[in-house]
Amino acid sequence: MANMVNLKIDGKDVTVEEGTNLIDAAETVGIHIPNLCYLKGLKGIGACRLCVVEAEGGKAPLIACNTRVKEGMSISTRTEKVQEIRKFVIDLILSMHPLDCMTCTKAGVCNLQQYAYDFGIKESSFTRKKFGYATDEANPFVKRDPEYCVLCSRCIRVCKGQGTDVLEFSGRGVGAKVVTAKDRPLQESGCTFCGSCIDACPVNALLEADRWRKGREWEYEKTETVCLACGDACSITVSTKDGMAAKVVAGAPEGSVERYICAIGRFGFDSNYSDMRVKTPLKKVGGELKETTWEDAISLVAKNLKSAGADAAFVTSGTILNEDALLLKKFATEVVKTKKIDSTVSLYSDEEAMTGDAADLDAADLFVVAGTAPDQWKRVLPALDAIVRKKMNNDGTKLVVINSGEPRIASAASVFLKGDEVKMLMELGQAMIAKGAKAPKEMVSALAAVNPSDEAMSAADIFLASKKPVILASPSLFKAAANLALVKGDAVAVPLEANAKGVVSMGLSSSGTKFRDIVSSSSKALYVVGELPVSKRPETGFLVVQAPHMTELASHADVVLPATSALESEGSIIDLLGRIKKVNRVCGPSGEARQNGDIFIAVAEAMGGALKPVKDADVKKAAKMKTKTAFHAFKKDAGYDIDAEAFAGDTTGSIIQGSRLLWLRQVEAASVTA
Amino acid sequence: MKDVLAAVQDIKCPIQRSLVFVEEFLSEPMCGKCHPCALGSYEALVRLKRIAAGSGLQADVDAIQRIADQMLEGSRCIKGKDTAKFLLTALETGAFREHLEGHCEEQECTQYVIYRVIPEKCVLCGLCQEACKYNAIVGEKKVSYRSGYLPFEIRQKRCVKCGDCYTACTYGAIEKIEENKAALV
Repeated sequence: MANMVNLKIDGKDVTVEEGTNLIDAAETVGIHIPNLCYLKGLKGIGACRLCVVEAEGGKAPLIACNTRVKEGMSISTRTEKVQEIRKFVIDLILSMHPLDCMTCTKAGVCNLQQYAYDFGIKESSFTRKKFGYATDEANPFVKRDPEYCVLCSRCIRVCKGQGTDVLEFSGRGVGAKVVTAKDRPLQESGCTFCGSCIDACPVNALLEADRWRKGREWEYEKTETVCLACGDACSITVSTKDGMAAKVVAGAPEGSVERYICAIGRFGFDSNYSDMRVKTPLKKVGGELKETTWEDAISLVAKNLKSAGADAAFVTSGTILNEDALLLKKFATEVVKTKKIDSTVSLYSDEEAMTGDAADLDAADLFVVAGTAPDQWKRVLPALDAIVRKKMNNDGTKLVVINSGEPRIASAASVFLKGDEVKMLMELGQAMIAKGAKAPKEMVSALAAVNPSDEAMSAADIFLASKKPVILASPSLFKAAANLALVKGDAVAVPLEANAKGVVSMGLSSSGTKFRDIVSSSSKALYVVGELPVSKRPETGFLVVQAPHMTELASHADVVLPATSALESEGSIIDLLGRIKKVNRVCGPSGEARQNGDIFIAVAEAMGGALKPVKDADVKKAAKMKTKTAFHAFKKDAGYDIDAEAFAGDTTGSIIQGSRLLWLRQVEAASVTA
Repeated sequence: MKDVLAAVQDIKCPIQRSLVFVEEFLSEPMCGKCHPCALGSYEALVRLKRIAAGSGLQADVDAIQRIADQMLEGSRCIKGKDTAKFLLTALETGAFREHLEGHCEEQECTQYVIYRVIPEKCVLCGLCQEACKYNAIVGEKKVSYRSGYLPFEIRQKRCVKCGDCYTACTYGAIEKIEENKAALV
């Protein structure tokens, strides 16, 4: 527990953790200290000078964003002197800011607008300045309009912090401009279009490109939910207008290192409304998929499943919700009575890795990234890459990368142990033991013969010096990597799908036939749920595909059942850190789409079996962590090597195909060939 | 900041001194890291230029006063504070009020002065005409065999007040006077 500090702010008693800055301290008692350049989670730079406050007994005003609380301080945030400074700065900024709040998309959430209102400044008393900078509208994601810029540099610092680093100031003072290298358009500057800069911008200088006259903040309804596009399972906040998603922003709490979403999470919501959505049940008539009714489709599926019986097989993606997964398990084992049921999780992980430890990424002071290769640019677990880099750049967290390849994140590492992952983990373990770390007996004897390299020794120094190391391992290396956590810290297996841990916890594990075998062998009937990295029709007498989008596999199906998309479903998932996250329904179903679980219930009923809807308690019971951390042999689980990039591409295929992300993919493809 | 001070050491008029000071400050030492100084000194320059151009108003002086006051309190470093102090010193001189009234005591604000030929002293040599790059001087050089000539005169509309004629005249026949006073003569 950190030391607590007592102080007074505007006469109110405040008790906060040591090291807190004055803005955050004031916020805890509901006092807002104006600021434009401060952003929770980043260091205060004291540029805008709006956060000036006065301390009792102090001569000069203090800058609240980069002043830490001291015991016994007494702060006044509203003295005449500091109000004058604030008013002065707002007045100056307004003199170079377009005064078009009536048509400005950011109206309502614009900090400048709020402060102008607070200080009663109708228009600037200073000379009007205009620089005639062009707007960058060359991409469908981020619109940059320098005319609105207040030079707070939040965007620059956010981008630097997460390691993308594409923005910089050109010039200084009045007339300075936020630019990319050589002032090129964003798509030529290495931008990943994650849009973090949009969230950071206090005004209208950075905006989602499609927002013009598509509703403003007060017209939106906001729903907290989770992005299911990859294993990061980031929290998102979706704004809807007239029942349609209009905007997605990162949903993790302000200041949390997890407050990041990638381009897929932010801009992929278009796919919810794309032409590729399946809106009615379809069945194959004379080689072509034709629309049909739910009744007809369900009875057709029920009939075929019944006749297939134990020869029917079920495969699902690792993104279906816990509730749906529980129902699927019951449906397959109790109603259809087959043991052939598995999920895509078994392509990259065994069961045990998926029910492992939890960790606190915000508190980590060392990351050990073993085997897994998160990469913002390739969009493989991009949030994890951003989190690691943010912690490193903003909080000085260290990074040890263990990988046999040359992942991009390795270039940022404090120590990169290149080579066979298991061997490197053993060397690191032995190096720590050699340096006097306490380890279980089995581990000491298992590593006795290992001779650690110099790099391993320096990695061990970093590991032993850290207080809260977090080991992020690819699932197949989890057991070996978790051994290090027996010395100190936590280990987490990083799955490739949002609800991999939930799907496994709910019992959809390969106790019977494995995913790979189901897809490659023949079956009487095959029931596919979600988007799988399979495009050819497996050998089966009857193929049912239940998915929100018309995937290639779906086009080969005998029956296609329209499932709700991630934004239209309700339930929960278990994310990579083992937390249960609530998935809330953002908008109503497209066409006749139904949620996976409801479809299972309906088909079960048609087969004469009753499935009860799942209660929260059932999920909680199933989600209980089963493994205890114990020593495991240092070895890699075999059979789980897949190309993470290709897998990510396959499972987000319809999101990308059905949204403006397709533009990005084409631009990236063009730049590779050029 | 040394260079900035060096640039103004030979200037006497407080307006000109402030103008050059802020101009120099913006061009080099100003880091742009905090808003009161980065945005404030730019605005101060705009206002100073306006006053130096003869179109200044009391509002401009008030604005400079406000900028200097707030920059002193609000800017981060000594450079911003020094600039504020420099402006405050200039404001104390009363030169701003004089300028609003149309006087530049030191005659360094070109918009406040005019150049004139003193007919009594002019020997019609034509040196001033040759020196003027802007063809602002009319008149005919005196030739001994001719009588009846056009006297030398500076056309104010063309004059840019560069002062070249003033230094070219070896007879002290060109004077530099405050524009307002000229109207009275």
